[in-house]
Amino acid sequence: MRDSLLAAGASGPLSLPPHLLAALVPLLVLVVALDVYCLIDLARAPAMRWGVPKFVWVIVILFISAPIGALAYLFLGRDRSRHPPAPAVPASPALPASPPGQAGQPVLGPAAADGLPVVTTTGLTRDYGGTGLFDVDLLVPAGSVYGLAGPNGAGKTTLLSILAGVRRADRGTVNLAISRRRIAVCPDVPEFDGWLTACEVVDLARSLMGQAPDESAVTASLATAGLADMAAKRVGGFSRGMIQRLGLACALAGDPELLILDEPTSALDPAGRAELLGLVAAMRGRRTVIFSSHILADVQRVADQVGILRGGRLLYQGQTRDLIDTYLKPSWLVRIAGDAGPVAAAMSGEPWVTRVEPAGSDVLRVDATSLAAGERGIPAVIAACGARQVSCEPAAADLESAFLALTGAPAGA
Amino acid sequence: MNLWRLEWLRLIRTPRAVTLLAVFIFFGLVEPVLTRYQSKILAHVGNGVRIVAPPPTPAQGISGYIGEITGIGLIVVVVIAAGALSFDARHGLAIFLRTRVTSIWRLVMPRYTASAAATAAAYLVGMLAAWYETDLLIGSLPAGAVFAGYLCAAVYLAFSVAVTALAASLVRSTLASTGIALAILLVIPIAGTFRAVHDWLPSTLVGAPVELLEGTHRLVHYLPAFAVAVAVSLGALAIAVQRLAAREL
Repeated sequence: MRDSLLAAGASGPLSLPPHLLAALVPLLVLVVALDVYCLIDLARAPAMRWGVPKFVWVIVILFISAPIGALAYLFLGRDRSRHPPAPAVPASPALPASPPGQAGQPVLGPAAADGLPVVTTTGLTRDYGGTGLFDVDLLVPAGSVYGLAGPNGAGKTTLLSILAGVRRADRGTVNLAISRRRIAVCPDVPEFDGWLTACEVVDLARSLMGQAPDESAVTASLATAGLADMAAKRVGGFSRGMIQRLGLACALAGDPELLILDEPTSALDPAGRAELLGLVAAMRGRRTVIFSSHILADVQRVADQVGILRGGRLLYQGQTRDLIDTYLKPSWLVRIAGDAGPVAAAMSGEPWVTRVEPAGSDVLRVDATSLAAGERGIPAVIAACGARQVSCEPAAADLESAFLALTGAPAGA
Repeated sequence: MNLWRLEWLRLIRTPRAVTLLAVFIFFGLVEPVLTRYQSKILAHVGNGVRIVAPPPTPAQGISGYIGEITGIGLIVVVVIAAGALSFDARHGLAIFLRTRVTSIWRLVMPRYTASAAATAAAYLVGMLAAWYETDLLIGSLPAGAVFAGYLCAAVYLAFSVAVTALAASLVRSTLASTGIALAILLVIPIAGTFRAVHDWLPSTLVGAPVELLEGTHRLVHYLPAFAVAVAVSLGALAIAVQRLAAREL
């Protein structure tokens, strides 16, 4: 080849020997192709690493010694992991932080669900030097939605990680009534390869769990998670909320018997939160769900079983309703039609009333010596006054109040 | 979608394949040109100093390519392999993968194979480019020696990817894995200064393509290093899988 080119003479358009020209053309093609590839990639890129403006990379690609500039862009330029800013998470009652090691004995509530336990742990302990998990005896009935509540650092993620099999316990046992292959886990911050589409991610999740390819099942999982329209989009451009939804779609794709969700609503907007909680609540009876949250309103909304962790110890386990009832204060908000003054005066004379004060123009807050005394006495006093009662509801009858009473943390902390 | 297709998509949808090919082909195309015109280039930058050098041999055309590949090329290979093999670097992704696969080997095997195969393919394309340029500018090369040299270099690059897998099992971060793998690969040739072990070290395979072309050695000379590279690669992969399986998230 060299000889034939040499014989062809030296009359090239660039006045270069033809064999040198033949040697340089591939190099030129490579450099131009690489620069074009990088410029197209740059134009399509949603974000640059370290916030470097795109025009800077155009200069680097075109004017830094080829192909060094292009290679520098490929290695350092595009930020393939960054997502657009996450939607704001609505303000919700968060649990007060608690110092580690101040934990009492578990208070075992009455068993609630009819199903046999899917997960039981005995004396589960993982000590990280004073923090971690200590002697946790968990019991999760089949078909229940089990809410694991506790402040940051209470040991929720450690417990879920041990249940999921990605951490080991120092002591204790975990007994699963189902195969590990039937468990799906969705972490609080799911992550996926940004260059895959949502459809491919869910398909991969199914494949990893040993399920046959099924496009309709993938589509159904995405639709359930509210991502039907995003199936063909690459997840690199997804917001945090969408990534969290995709994590749920992956978890559901394998049709698991046990679903472990770690802080599943942490990145969702109010509508997304409500939607996801509705989805979780709808799973009750069909599959077992364990989900952790430091947002007690979420736990109360969907969990029929609740476990309260603090300082690595299980303070309470049982029905959510029982926990609220147990720690419910004998305090009511009574709304009267018209002037509440006479009723307040009558209430203050009763021996079972410890305090009565206005909580608005037509609302009284009544504290009693006991639940029974208040429930009997309030209607009687209103009737005796000839007043008309609009409503009477327990004050602070929620999981947050129960949690604060259980842990002894000050209200509003 | 399975884990093999995932690795294929990782290569073609990220700059991995493009980068590997660009680097290897670039050096394959440019090094023979530099070798051929080295004396003229030096004369232009030598401020009038006349440099007389013997005409380059075809083996020297390939030698420049090998030299760049064992330097910059190896760094690119390790960075790309570490990106695929450090799957614990991202916690959420690690949970997604680890809670679904039945064994870590299922995760490591496609990642190792894809990285090693892509590297070997890129090296081959770069080698063919260097061969084309050398044939055009300097002289022809014996095909048998070229492919025997390719075989040795490909085994060394596969060994380098296995070392990267081992490094990824020692630390979580991609950057740290890259650093450890490169440190190991740089230390091995230093051990080669001891004559007793030189012929047994995998790094001996790096010089094989040039030495085979020059006729200094025959392929059989590299069998000990070849065997050690294969054995150590398998051992490194086994240790990596064992360590990754034992790792907690």
